[in-house]
Amino acid sequence: MKVQKDTLGQLNVPSTRSWKSILKGSYMFILLIITVVILSVVKLGEVEMFARGHFLNWDASIVNLFRMAVPIFTLVGGFTLIIISGHIDLSVGSALSLSAVIYSLMVLNGFNFATSLITTLILGVGLGFINGFLIARLRITPVIATLITMSLYKGIARLIVPAGVSAIKGSETRTMPAWINNYGREGVLAGLPAAFFVAIAVIIVMIIVQKGTVLGRHTIAIGGNMQAAELSGINVVRTVWILYVIVGICAALAGVARASYMSLGDPLMGDAMVLDCLIATLLGGTYIWGGEGSVIKAVVGALIIMCINIGLMTVIPPYWQLFIKGAVLVLAVALINYLAKEKSL
Amino acid sequence: MRSGLGGSDGVNKISTRGKMSNESFITLSMFIVIIVVIGFASIFVPNFYRPQNIINLVTNFWYIIALGIGVTFLLITGNFELSVGGVAAMTGVLSVYFCQSAGTSPNVLANGLGLPYGVAVALALLAALGIGAINAFFVAKLKVASIVVTLATMSFSRGIAQIVTRGAQRNTSLPDVYGVVGNIFVVGSLKLAVFIMIFFVIIAAIIEKRTVFGRRTYLIGANMQAARLSGVKVAKHITILYLISSFLAGVVGILLASEYISGTSSRIMGVEFDVLVVTLLGGTAIMGGFGSVIGTAIGTVILAVIASASTGLLLRPEWQFILKSVIVFIAIMAQRFALSRRNL
Repeated sequence: MKVQKDTLGQLNVPSTRSWKSILKGSYMFILLIITVVILSVVKLGEVEMFARGHFLNWDASIVNLFRMAVPIFTLVGGFTLIIISGHIDLSVGSALSLSAVIYSLMVLNGFNFATSLITTLILGVGLGFINGFLIARLRITPVIATLITMSLYKGIARLIVPAGVSAIKGSETRTMPAWINNYGREGVLAGLPAAFFVAIAVIIVMIIVQKGTVLGRHTIAIGGNMQAAELSGINVVRTVWILYVIVGICAALAGVARASYMSLGDPLMGDAMVLDCLIATLLGGTYIWGGEGSVIKAVVGALIIMCINIGLMTVIPPYWQLFIKGAVLVLAVALINYLAKEKSL
Repeated sequence: MRSGLGGSDGVNKISTRGKMSNESFITLSMFIVIIVVIGFASIFVPNFYRPQNIINLVTNFWYIIALGIGVTFLLITGNFELSVGGVAAMTGVLSVYFCQSAGTSPNVLANGLGLPYGVAVALALLAALGIGAINAFFVAKLKVASIVVTLATMSFSRGIAQIVTRGAQRNTSLPDVYGVVGNIFVVGSLKLAVFIMIFFVIIAAIIEKRTVFGRRTYLIGANMQAARLSGVKVAKHITILYLISSFLAGVVGILLASEYISGTSSRIMGVEFDVLVVTLLGGTAIMGGFGSVIGTAIGTVILAVIASASTGLLLRPEWQFILKSVIVFIAIMAQRFALSRRNL
């Protein structure tokens, strides 16, 4: 690759590369606009779902998009922090599923909203704590450790669901209380459910954590150079551990929102979440090796991926979904690699 | 102890005190684990000890070993490969699609391209190599994290399989020759695929231990900078490994599609995790520089015994998720403990 390595060039961006740096800061917004325009214009097929062709209609389409986006909005902030720290969490989907299963099981068994929510959040802390223990304390590579817990959490979630049933849900003998929908589906303000505003609050907290706290600065330092961070006195073990617990809580909250939206707990409902979170984070310009990234831009990335998800449900046959997501991830990686400054391994 | 998170502590040290190498030590201890596991299973599971059952164990998991060869080599260089399952599914589906007669049946899934069998297989393998090339380009050339790239190509390739099969399967209007390769029984219940797998394993073991290419693989994993400085073409090496891995996955996909005489988009779904499990069980270090194909084969047998025993004990199939994760965890910790004690 013919990239001129200029030590001053990183401090003093030359004018020839300025368009690139402008693009680097704003391409995710451009991508979002392009996606929205395409989905608003395209009208294919005959099956009527989610008010096809009215993509920009608030009541019919955008409210629905935001409701469906609640889990990924809740998760993406914590996930981005993990990526910024140079780690990865592949178990978020399974943690989400397990939380949703536990939450719906508790609701089905007559516990009230507060008890179920708090128990699920404590479960989330536990799940994140296990990840943190494996990675920060036992020093198992993040990918392997979270693959282990991914399989573990998924296995537990599937075992909790009785044999022969696909999900924890109401039946003839035992109905799911109607109030389960109140949190994730019923409109509170402008048609949006309470869970959406909780997700926004989580995002704001994550932005504050990233920009304004010691934890956020330590996260960036660890992602930039772990050895240096450790030598300069940062408690790497504790910081990484806390980050995984944060993601665990986010996953539990997302699981509650999802279970409340669907009014059931399906052990497979989180499976697509890892890929979605990863695409959102990378589209948001977070550097995969850690050290730089932004929660706000990752949220824009999440919005893009949700537009694509909804678009795939409405205008394109569903079996295209996996291909398009894979292609988007490949393209996102290529784009970010092109825009990012040269970094040695 | 290294200070970095996730370091492969002590794994890369080379014993010079006239003992057997760390690698043989791990392989030997895994072999002992197999015997212990089979012993326990024979006590608790009725009829487990029968020779036919033991043979079935290995032959049912042949594709995991075959896929594990490429993954092991790549893991030795410190790179992940999660796309093998998707590539296998894609290749199987594409070979069926190319081979199906080019009719105008109202059922879209019955119409293919009508190519001769050999051409169809060759083109499908070419597609598999294409996915390998994408992996190699991003990992070796652009230096993107291999976990992200192969996760992307995993869904990309399985996505192609889903598009071609409309999310279902293609199994009609296939020529008779299509089902031959996957259903040849060589000895008793042993299929040709098992012998192809054994052949691949032997070749891989020779390459790994006896050739410059194999030794360079270890060097790259142990210290990439040193390898580069001593003249190893790292990018080219990793490119070749990704192409080999995709090719093997393609062969597996074609053999499986031929065995079932159908191209199914959900074929061996989630096998990526199993392959990673068996490579880790076989002693391959996560951070590279250490491991062996024979170890992967032994790891597969352990997984097969445990999967079969849990079915024999009438546990719900969901238990296998939990068992697998616990076993991998124990394997990683045990190997680390054994090696750190050994290399004090």
